[in-house]
Amino acid sequence: MDKVPVRRVKRPALGASTAAAVAPTDYRSTLLLGSVFVIATCGLIYELIAGTLASYLLGDSVLQFSTIIGAYLFAMGIGSWLSRYLGGSLLRWFIQLEILVGLVGGFSAPLLFLVFEHVSSFRLILYALVGLTGVLVGLEIPLLMRILEGRFEFKDLVSRVFTFDYIGALLASLVFPLVLVPQLGLIRTSLLCGALNVVVAGIALYRFPETRPFRRSMGGALVASLLALAVAFGFAERLQAYTEGLAFQDQVIYTKTTPYQRLVLTKNQRELRLFLNGNLQFSSADEYRYHEALVHPVMQALPQARRVLVLGGGDGLAVRELLKYPQLQHIDLVDLDAGMTQLFQHNQMLLELNHRSLLNPKVRVINADAYQWVRQDSSRYDCIIVDFPDPGNYSIGKLYSAAFYRALEQRLAPGGWAVVQSTSPYVARRSFWCVAHTLEAAGFTALPYHCYVPSFGEWGFVLAGRNRHWRPDAGPLPPGLRYVTPATIRAMRFFPPDMSEVPTEINQLNNQALVRYFEEDWGPYVH
Amino acid sequence: MPSSRRHFLQRAALGGAGLLLAPLAGLHSCAPGSSRSHISGSLHGANRATGHLLRDPASLPAPTRTEAVEVLIVGGGVAGLTARRELARLGLRPEQVLLVELDEQPGGNSRAGRNAVSAYPWGAHYLPVPDPRNHELLAFLAEAGILTGTDAASGLPIYNEYYLCHDPEERLFIKGHWQNGLVPELGVPPAEKAQLARFFALIDELRQTVGTDGRDAFRIPVDESSCDEQFRHLDEQPFAAWLDAQGFTGSHLRWYLDYSCRDDYGAPAAQVSAWAGLHYFAARKGRAHNANGADVLTWPAGNGFLVEQLRAQAPSPIRPNTVAFALHATPTGLAADCYNVATRQTVRVAARQVIMATPSFITERLLASLPAAAYRPLPVHRAPWVVVNLTVEGLPQGPGQPLSWDNVLFGTDSVGYVDAGHQSLSLTDAGPRVVTWYRPLSAPNPEAARRQAYQTSYDDWVRQALAELETAHHGLTAQVLRADVWVWGHGMVAPTPGFVWGPARAAAARPWQNQLFFAHTDLSGISIFEEGFHQGQRAARQVLAARSTGLA
Ligand SMILES: Cc1cc2nc3c(=O)[nH]c(=O)nc-3n(C[C@H](O)[C@H](O)[C@H](O)COP(=O)(O)OP(=O)(O)OC[C@H]3O[C@@H](n4cnc5c(N)ncnc54)[C@H](O)[C@@H]3O)c2cc1C
Repeated sequence: MDKVPVRRVKRPALGASTAAAVAPTDYRSTLLLGSVFVIATCGLIYELIAGTLASYLLGDSVLQFSTIIGAYLFAMGIGSWLSRYLGGSLLRWFIQLEILVGLVGGFSAPLLFLVFEHVSSFRLILYALVGLTGVLVGLEIPLLMRILEGRFEFKDLVSRVFTFDYIGALLASLVFPLVLVPQLGLIRTSLLCGALNVVVAGIALYRFPETRPFRRSMGGALVASLLALAVAFGFAERLQAYTEGLAFQDQVIYTKTTPYQRLVLTKNQRELRLFLNGNLQFSSADEYRYHEALVHPVMQALPQARRVLVLGGGDGLAVRELLKYPQLQHIDLVDLDAGMTQLFQHNQMLLELNHRSLLNPKVRVINADAYQWVRQDSSRYDCIIVDFPDPGNYSIGKLYSAAFYRALEQRLAPGGWAVVQSTSPYVARRSFWCVAHTLEAAGFTALPYHCYVPSFGEWGFVLAGRNRHWRPDAGPLPPGLRYVTPATIRAMRFFPPDMSEVPTEINQLNNQALVRYFEEDWGPYVH
Repeated sequence: MPSSRRHFLQRAALGGAGLLLAPLAGLHSCAPGSSRSHISGSLHGANRATGHLLRDPASLPAPTRTEAVEVLIVGGGVAGLTARRELARLGLRPEQVLLVELDEQPGGNSRAGRNAVSAYPWGAHYLPVPDPRNHELLAFLAEAGILTGTDAASGLPIYNEYYLCHDPEERLFIKGHWQNGLVPELGVPPAEKAQLARFFALIDELRQTVGTDGRDAFRIPVDESSCDEQFRHLDEQPFAAWLDAQGFTGSHLRWYLDYSCRDDYGAPAAQVSAWAGLHYFAARKGRAHNANGADVLTWPAGNGFLVEQLRAQAPSPIRPNTVAFALHATPTGLAADCYNVATRQTVRVAARQVIMATPSFITERLLASLPAAAYRPLPVHRAPWVVVNLTVEGLPQGPGQPLSWDNVLFGTDSVGYVDAGHQSLSLTDAGPRVVTWYRPLSAPNPEAARRQAYQTSYDDWVRQALAELETAHHGLTAQVLRADVWVWGHGMVAPTPGFVWGPARAAAARPWQNQLFFAHTDLSGISIFEEGFHQGQRAARQVLAARSTGLA
């Protein structure tokens, strides 16, 4: 009986006649067969969790998934082989094993999330844990088959155990992506499966008379394990929140939680990246493309501009581009988050990146809610740069509404132009055109354009003015630009068919059409 | 996370306001040792104490002096304030009109409160986008800057976007999840879904239906609805019985309809007439260029904002803290004895004409010494309401649609809560906010419910509100900074069977001898802003017509 094939290797289907030949079974055997089902489901789920986590945290999902699965299956083989060394009370072994699987498997996801940020050799821990879980799970079925050995004929035993095993695997592969991950998330799913393993142990412990001598001692361990899993389940949310910001590919060099968002700065040999609430804000490798495209098409058309307003953009990178125009006398930057603007006024690496733009005497940094500020302010600007986060929630959606653009219009000097960052016209085509149409509904002439930023993909902007007098080659561009030229500007205005205009609703405060488009457009990309 | 300095200051201010208000409204605290022991606030009662002076007018001092005005308005609710505004529009000079209001500020059921965190409603909190044929109402809204223009192409009004309720507007907590909209969807069986669809199809049809007299079957104001018997007979039966007869029996649909009736009338479908139950839905004919018919106008202060606009649109004096307690006939007209609760003095106000903008049970008492013909009794079923304004540090959210303006919990007997911060344009959702929780105390016998409501303690009200809200917002209790409670003993009129189209309502609205006029939502049978506005305007015009015929 010790030669048990590794599970989940393709094998010929079991004959219907074998499966139909039902041997008389007592209810304890049925219980054990039922536990095969649970064990198989949980076993596969641990494997899926490890694979998913590895591709979340380390990237490159194909590689991560297949190496994790390989390692896991191999470890299961070792477990199966080791099972021959288990002797004595097999039921006792089985109960201990289930508790152990429950703890190791159950805590695998929370543990991996937690250690991710703090250890340098995350991979080592990941594979060690995968190996350990695999060995333990590999022990389960052979052990169970030996327990059931005397109760069935061999052909019946094999037929039944593997039937349940495979059904369990099927169930796992369906409920994991469809139910568990969306409803519970990885951490809770992992803990739940752990609890199921412990429950299997409990059933075995209290339903088999042979276990009487060690019921007491093991019962204690069992309850304690279950309790630990339950407590962790209760704290899963906090854990998740704590670990959310940690899923970064590179070394995290700075984190800060401000009242408004979580800032994370990462670094590798090539680039510096800023994440706001886990979303990439820029990569130092290609942000020049984004910020040149944001600033120069509008500024080159306004050679007389003196006063500029920047909304959002607390990183000072748009301001850096603006300061290349010596005729500018005053720049107001309004960003909600003082944590953000301070970071970009003090951090040496970031000061190098933004050329100390936020410390320039021409620049005034105002930490305020942009909407209220725009409505209350009474000055006028020749140019307004609107660089808000994408409209991913209802509060930000208000900053893309027709009402907001009408308020913005009040701040624009005669002949002035504004430019609005307006998400990806490729990924979120309706969202992008919704911004353009909303600007038009607010009375602006809207001139959409887009550029390619490698770390973002295709990115879109909309120029908004009161008249059509805008030209791609109106005035001189500052020297030293790496991306924008009059020819680039002309090219950026062209939309190929897969990004061309689509009809949309107007984004109003009372319909928040944009937030809905945005959710639908980006939905397939973010989960 | 430590709360920021701003939050700390707000918190300190809240406590301070509590102390300042303490001598006025009485600062109450929740039971020590309970999970609510940190909560305190005020308990108001639609000015119970002042109102009850009316029960015993003999105990009030005799008038020490007499004043004379042309027109006296008693009551500063929506109807009274509208009458005052309309009189000014019709040419009466400021010194010719006086309004007396028993409370320290006007507004009645539409009044608002304010603390360091936000303004908030104490009663009425929204106005649906109106029927564009309601020109008078539209003119008021335009003057108030709520309606900002007319679309040239469609001719439809354009509303100020900051006042149209922002999206997301409504959500329902059902089966542990917040769904979009208030009509139950989540987990509703197909058979019931079909019923819901059939009901709304019927409503769509009724909304279009016009009677043989050329009037809409259902219209706001109610007095402009069709007089056809085929519609009026719907007023004779309870809504619930009519629904049963039509096969509208699904539990989700019936909960929703009960909720709707309780929300607008303070009484469930079994207590209001079928006509009124259908009117709630079928009379909604709002249209706008930049909103749809289901949209509403709302403000942090709720309809307190509209009250303020009404007040600001006329110059004549408003005398607060002043209870009119008896009316007498004089050779030149009428005189009202008015007791000022602040100065404890009574003034006799002689007026050629008086508009009674008070609820019917008060009107009846005030007119007791006039000839019987002056007042046609109008018995009104009036459910008490309790409103709890919770100032919270944060609102722990459950799964589903995020915090919306109107948030209702399926299966409860409250009508949910509105978020006073909803129209805020701030980027941050975090930080303290005020939410207003409403519960009609619907009972077959409102008198008993009222007595019980007056006996319920502050702690009990807070406990009840939190017990319900905790089911959807686990951990809310710990986040409460302050809870202020208002018990509306007399709430609003419920359109019970026979009320809207019965003879008593029409009779009660008829002026007496060109001297006495009546304006209150009781006279509509449906208590909404539009009706209050209509009643005030109607009464003011009757006053003017009476003056110009010279009969007064
Ligand atoms: C909890 C609640 C929620 C509501 N929500 C809404 C809503 O969202 N939208 C909506 O349209 N409607 C709502 N309503 C209905 C509301 O009643 C009407 O909108 C409107 O405010 C009624 O105005 P009114 O002038 O007819 O009556 P009241 O508000 O009753 O006004 C009467 C006034 O007369 C004063 N008064 C009474 N007696 C005397 C006296 N003897 N001397 C001097 N003054 C006196 C009172 O103090 C009061 O100010 C709500 C009502 C309640 C109770």
